Amino acid sequence: MTHGHIYDMIIVGGGPGGYTAALYAARAGLDTLVLEKLSAGGQMALTQQIDNYPGFEDSVDGFTLAEKMQAQAERFGARTEYAQVERLDLTASPKVLETSEGTFLGKTVVLATGADPRKLGVDHEEALVGRGVAYCAACDGMFYRGKTVVVVGGGNSAAADALLLSRIAKKVILVHRRDALRATKIYHEPLKQAENLEFRWNSAITGLLYGDRLTGVQLKNLNSGEVFNLDCDGLFISVGRTPATELVRGQLELDPGGYILAGETTETSIPGVFAVGDVRTKRLRQVVTAVSDGAVAVHMAEEYLAGGT
Amino acid sequence: MSAVNMDQKLFTELLAGDRPVLVDFWAPWCGYCRRISAPYDRIAAEHQDHLVVGKVNVDAEAQLAQAERIEVLPTLVLYRNGKAVGSIAAPESKAMIEAFIQETLAE
Repeated sequence: MTHGHIYDMIIVGGGPGGYTAALYAARAGLDTLVLEKLSAGGQMALTQQIDNYPGFEDSVDGFTLAEKMQAQAERFGARTEYAQVERLDLTASPKVLETSEGTFLGKTVVLATGADPRKLGVDHEEALVGRGVAYCAACDGMFYRGKTVVVVGGGNSAAADALLLSRIAKKVILVHRRDALRATKIYHEPLKQAENLEFRWNSAITGLLYGDRLTGVQLKNLNSGEVFNLDCDGLFISVGRTPATELVRGQLELDPGGYILAGETTETSIPGVFAVGDVRTKRLRQVVTAVSDGAVAVHMAEEYLAGGT
Repeated sequence: MSAVNMDQKLFTELLAGDRPVLVDFWAPWCGYCRRISAPYDRIAAEHQDHLVVGKVNVDAEAQLAQAERIEVLPTLVLYRNGKAVGSIAAPESKAMIEAFIQETLAE
């Protein structure tokens, strides 16, 4: 099914960057469509408490903030389709977006597809998701009340997950490849004070042990090469994020990390195509920087549309 | 029509009916469950002629969730003739839920 209508702007992804673009576009009088595969918010929708988005002095939960951003954009006429984009032709005119809900056409495209948790890459990882392997402590941590869990990773999200789990689980073991965390200093002291938390430095998880569900992990000490088994009920994988750029691979220039190459103007290597939020090459990935991108993308798109190309 | 809230009694009644039953096991504190809820209601409306679409709050129905061996939220289970015939945990998109329904019913 092809929807014959040609939108001025189609936004792929309904996170904060996407819905800010939708808000600015709709207010600028552009005929605007957001394609969202699940619900507004992206990664932000799973953040229980956001304390660094200005204007919410008592903090706000990410899902609520996302719903508000969607409602605000829709108030000015932006539309949302719950559609999974399957293929894009970004050089065509108009640009073509094939989705689970049919094909949509747009004069400009804003890519706001964000990033997803990175897999650890050990055997049987995917098969054990939901049976001991998890990627979101805020979502699945409650199932491990009074149990022993391993957290793998050394950045801010691993530190935050370990802290959260230390309040729920009986014991938390934080496994990291190096001998110190990369996490911001504010996490160090609370982590040290958590009595049920222990660190396994210079260690990597090389295998998963399981029956019906996960029963433990195989750990390798990267200094000595020694391999041993560690019993646990859960494994929380917190080893960073991968940009959702599979759809545009081969069409747009990407950086070595797989993020879409675009500067502060959000312009990509194809005219009329813009990248906003976490999917774009940038130094700081935050809600505030994503919403800023959304506004800039619409400004650039208006210039592009005025150029008549 | 949005998804029906089910307790143990309604769950048992609807599973005994003729139509297949899709159940979303969720909890109020589960962030991802909230993300599913709008597209899930859309699915309930789109499939209302051939599928019963419901949801079970596992906090309120802990025994039911345990009996159904739910251990990740949200989990969607499709029942036919009173038996679970397929399940999907934390689906990533509305399209993935649609595909799960089509594939499971086709088996």
